[in-house]
This record gives sequence, C-alpha cells and structure tokens, in this order.
Amino acid sequence: MENSSRKVKIVVAMPGLDCHDRGIVYLSHVLREAGMEVVYLGRFNTPENIVNTAIEEDADVIALSYLNDHLYMIFFPRVVELLKERGANDICVMAGGRIIEEDRPKLKELGITGFFGQSTPTPVMVEHIVERVKRERWKEN
Amino acid sequence: MGSEEKIKSTRRFDVCPVTETSAGIPLKDVYGPQDLEGIDYKDDVADPGEYPFTRGIWSNMYRGKLWTRRVFTGLGSTADTNERYKYLLGKGASGLYCFGDTITHQGIDPDHPLAEGYAGVSGVSIVCLQDMYHLFDGISLEDVSVSFNNPSMAATVVYAAFVAYAEEMGYDLSKISGSILNEPIHLVYSMFETNAKPLELAAKLATDVIEYSIKNTPRWHPIAPNAYDMHEKGANAIQEMAFTIAIMEEYIQRMIKRGYNIDAFAPRVSVFGCACDIDFFEEICKFRAARKVWAKLMKEKYGAKKAASCRLYLSVHTSGNSLTVQQPVNNVARVTLESLACVLGGLQSFDPAGYDEGYYILTEHSALTSLNIHNILAYESRVASVADPLAGSYFIESLTEKMEQEMFKIINKIDDMGGAIKATESGWIGSEMDHELIKEQKEIEEKKRIIVGMNEFTVSKEEEVPIEVGRDRPLEEQMATSKKREDEISKLRETRDKKAVKNALEDLRGQAAKGEDHNLIPAMMESLRAKATLGEILGVIREANDASYDPYEVIQYSL
Repeated sequence: MENSSRKVKIVVAMPGLDCHDRGIVYLSHVLREAGMEVVYLGRFNTPENIVNTAIEEDADVIALSYLNDHLYMIFFPRVVELLKERGANDICVMAGGRIIEEDRPKLKELGITGFFGQSTPTPVMVEHIVERVKRERWKEN
Repeated sequence: MGSEEKIKSTRRFDVCPVTETSAGIPLKDVYGPQDLEGIDYKDDVADPGEYPFTRGIWSNMYRGKLWTRRVFTGLGSTADTNERYKYLLGKGASGLYCFGDTITHQGIDPDHPLAEGYAGVSGVSIVCLQDMYHLFDGISLEDVSVSFNNPSMAATVVYAAFVAYAEEMGYDLSKISGSILNEPIHLVYSMFETNAKPLELAAKLATDVIEYSIKNTPRWHPIAPNAYDMHEKGANAIQEMAFTIAIMEEYIQRMIKRGYNIDAFAPRVSVFGCACDIDFFEEICKFRAARKVWAKLMKEKYGAKKAASCRLYLSVHTSGNSLTVQQPVNNVARVTLESLACVLGGLQSFDPAGYDEGYYILTEHSALTSLNIHNILAYESRVASVADPLAGSYFIESLTEKMEQEMFKIINKIDDMGGAIKATESGWIGSEMDHELIKEQKEIEEKKRIIVGMNEFTVSKEEEVPIEVGRDRPLEEQMATSKKREDEISKLRETRDKKAVKNALEDLRGQAAKGEDHNLIPAMMESLRAKATLGEILGVIREANDASYDPYEVIQYSL
C-alpha cells in the first residue's frame, strides 16, 4: 500500500548530442507541479549515464526526449537493453520529441510508450505516466 | 427549406482576444497623440540614416539596396551544400548561408566516439581546410556574401579555414564579405554549452576573430551574436535584444582592453542574428528599439564618434518555433507575415524559414518557396519602396519607446551583476528564460495563445492540405553518411605529413599559453595548412588553458 502511494520519481533526459530541450524544460516543470519527483539530466547524456542515474535514484520512469534527427533509434533501444542487463526492467521507459510514425512499432515492442510531441497536452502526459507507474507497482506487489 | 437543423456560425461575435504583446506589454484599444508625449522626433526617432537610427540605418533604405535574400542551407556533405548554393544563386539568392552540423558546433571531429551518426547530419561538417575547397568550388567569394552559422569555439577555426582558403585561392581579402556567428556565451543556455566552456577562453577566441578580421578582412562581420536561439529558448522580444546587447558588451570591453578605440571595431561588430516571431507589431518595434538602444550605448557609454559605430545591422531567421508540424502549408502564411515584419522593421538581411522546418532541413521545393517569399516582398508587393513607412504611428512610436525602456532596464541590471558572463555563470539569464518559456507553453495549453491547427482550428491528418515536407533520412542512411565522413577524416589523418601537423599544433599550443591578448588566428591558419583538424586545434588550445583536450573527456591528444 505504501509502495503504490509513493511519489512518482522520474528521470528526464536527452541522449546524444541533440540540443532541442524546450520540451523537457517545460515537461519537467509540469511534472513537478503534478507532484512528481524529477531528476533532471537535461541534454548530452549517454544511455549508460541515464540508466546508471535511474538505478541509483531508484526511479520509476525514464522519460527520453529527442528531436533533431534519427539517432533515437539507436539510443532508445540501448537504454532498454541496458536496463535489462542490469535487471532493472521494472523502470518504465517513455519517449517524446519527434518520434516518427514508422519507428513507433519497433519502439513499442521494446516496451517504450508515450511518443508525445509538440501538441500533446501535458495532462495527457501526466496521466499516462501515473497510469503506467500504477500498473507497474501493482505488478510488483 | 428542409426541416433539419441549420448550421450556425459559433464565432460570429468573436472579439480579438489579445490585450497585451507577446512579451506582456499591455495594449490599449486605440492610441493617439497623447501617447507620443515625451517622445522627441529629433532625439528619439529621427530620419532614417540619422542617429539614433530608430527608423533604419540608411536614409533611403531599400532604394539604396534591398535586404540580403538568404535561404537556410546546410546539407550533409560539403559537396551537397555546394550544389544547393549553385542552385540558389541561379534562382536569385544574393547571399549564402552555411549551417554547421552538430559535431562541428560541438568542436569534435567526425571520428570522435560520440560523433557516431552525427557527421554531416542536419548541417554541414567543417573540420579541415580541404572542406572549404569542396564547399565553395566554382563560386566566386568576391561576388557573394557568406554567412556562417557557427556559434561555438569552433567558429574561430571555421573563420581561420575560410581566410586560409581565400588566401590560397588568391582572392582579395578586402573584398570578402559576410559574417560568422562566433558568439559562444549564449550557448550556455541555448545550445552546445560543452564547447563554450571555459567561457573566458571561448570569449577570448571570439575576440581573436574580431581583432584579426578588422585588420585583414575589413568587409567581414566577425561576430553576429545569436539572439535567435535565446528567443527560441524562451526569451521574449525585450529580453532577446537586451541579453544580446549585454553579451556584446563583453566583447566590446575585451577589445577596448586590447587597446582598440571603439570606432576602430564597433562598425564591424554591430550585426545581430535575431528571431522574428508572429507578434507582428512587437517584432517591428523590437527592431526599431534595438537599433536605438545600441546607438545610444555606443555613443553615450563607449564614446563612439563615428556614425558607423552606432548603426546596428539586423538579420533574422524567422522563428522556427512559431511554425507547426500540423498543416505545414499554413506556415507559408506565418513566414510571410514574419518576413513582412522584417521588411517593415528595416532589416538588412533575413531568411524566411521553410514551411517544413518542423520536419527536416528544407527540401528544394520549400527552399524555393522561402526564396520566393523574398522575391514577392521585394519585387512584387511594393512594401519596400518607402523607408520605415510605419514611423509616426501613435502606436508604433509609443511601443518602440516602451520596449527601449524595458531593454535598458535589463541591460543595466546585467551591468550591475558584473556583465553577461557573470549573469550567465550565476544562472540568472538562464532562469529568466526558463520562466518565460514555461509561461508561454502554459498560455498555449490554456489557449491564451492560439496556434492555428495546433491548439485551435485543428483538423485530422486526412483533412490537411497535402504538401511535400522534408523527411528524415532513414537511420541506415544517416549512419552511412556519418561513417563516410568519419572515413574521410581518418584517411586525412593517415595520409598527411604527421610531423608537419605535430609541429604546427605544438607551436599553436605554445602560443595558446601566451594569454588573453595574444591572437591565435595566424597559428590556427598554420595548423590548418598542415592539415590539422578542428578537434585537434581546439584541443591543444584547451589544454594550454588548463582545460581537458576533449570537451567530453573521452579522447586524448594522440600525435
């Protein structure tokens, strides 16, 4: 019971060298307002340091953002792979930014959800995060 | 008449919902003579071409010369970019634009481990002197102006390579014109901060370009600070200009410390690269107010005597942030409106964004559309015939005055903090921008800011007007492009005279330890001629200044 009411802890990060961080600056603000605990890693991260942080911080969620080009198709799967290797697949991975339609099935298969973009209302994002974490915690209990 | 329910307009009695400018300046219903009280025509407005240049920097504005008509360019390889240049020049472009790729901005080479997949993607990769040969093949540099969008420490190397190339080609350096962004401080809050640190070193290198350029490439603009990125990252119209002017003061003060009189360099450092967003009148007044603030600062604070030192050249990339991925064809209307504000605001140069900017780098078709927005405004619409046609409007003059006052408040505040580097390091400027960004996004979500097709007047994907948009290259292609570039640079490393490169770099290292006032451009050019790369050149300079060779601390110096 205590477990399911614990504050949602979320690591917000951009992997690689993309610098378009407008989205995560705003998202982090919204998540804090919604009562979540945000670990803000910002730009220029490797999948390794994102996963390390998420495990050290005992986070529920990793929120990844990417906009500039196509390399998210390397970084996002790598994050999932590293979590698996470290036995931390209970951490939910979500993605946003500019994730083109054709790539989504492959990412969904890896368990990545969200795919929020420029016009996704933030309440939709918050609800998605809360629901997914709730399900994950329920699985654990 | 059928019996079924008739469709009624639900918006018949809508009122204009906007009562303040985008930056939050309250707007009245109507303006009148009383709003001009305290504004003196001669002191505050003055004729175009007269101090303080509120109405524009030339007396006859576009009758003397139309604005420079650029279109965003920066594609994959240097050869691809060269091909696009030739295409655009053939279609009437009068200036060229070069956007660096991510790793050029970061100052790392294509064979750096973190560069994998990034070389030559969403911008052009410039790493060595040879790249200039490919980029400008078959184009006469004496007859076209080139604008390099390189913001970070890499800008000094790109400038050195450009000058070394021009010399080798036998061009008359006094005829080379154009600009390079070359302003690293703003990167801390907007882009590639890793290659802007240490900030003092970055500012020193940017100052080297200014100093070298005023002596050797007198028609070149050696710094064109990036107000654009600050706007796109949150800064409102007032902050955008105030922060940029405060940042420019850092370089002005460095040049003065190096012993130069303000009039010896100010005329070459007064070019800003700004955004132009959708708030039409505010943007026009932003340009007018910024010219006035700059002129006053040069004359009153720095004692400039020459009119040229007080003339602020303004250039714009219309706001990418104002565009939508939904219904991309609507962006043509937005960009046109923003471009019109640029003309009415008396700009010297601008590039209208591509309608598909939200998707990818412009296609040939969207680039042609952007170019034709220029052509329609310049040749067809007659809007450019009269200098500053809005002057004297109660509203325009009063808003210009108000924005000037607000800009000065911020500039003075930063001055009190010890300058823009201090205000950056303390996080003040960054947090001011975040605050504005959050406010703006909130207003969009609450529909206080309407964005057609995005938060209001939306249609389904199927209902959208079909239009071609730029597409990401598939991942495999992106990786292959980057790999090809990586191989080119690896090959350069293998085939060059290693001893010559090492000697040149060691000499540069020695010179880089000589302190703030020792100009490094000649030694950089020497290294480039010996086929040193961007990463190596910046690496040894960084090491000589107690920073790591690699900004990401992944690789070591290995010659």
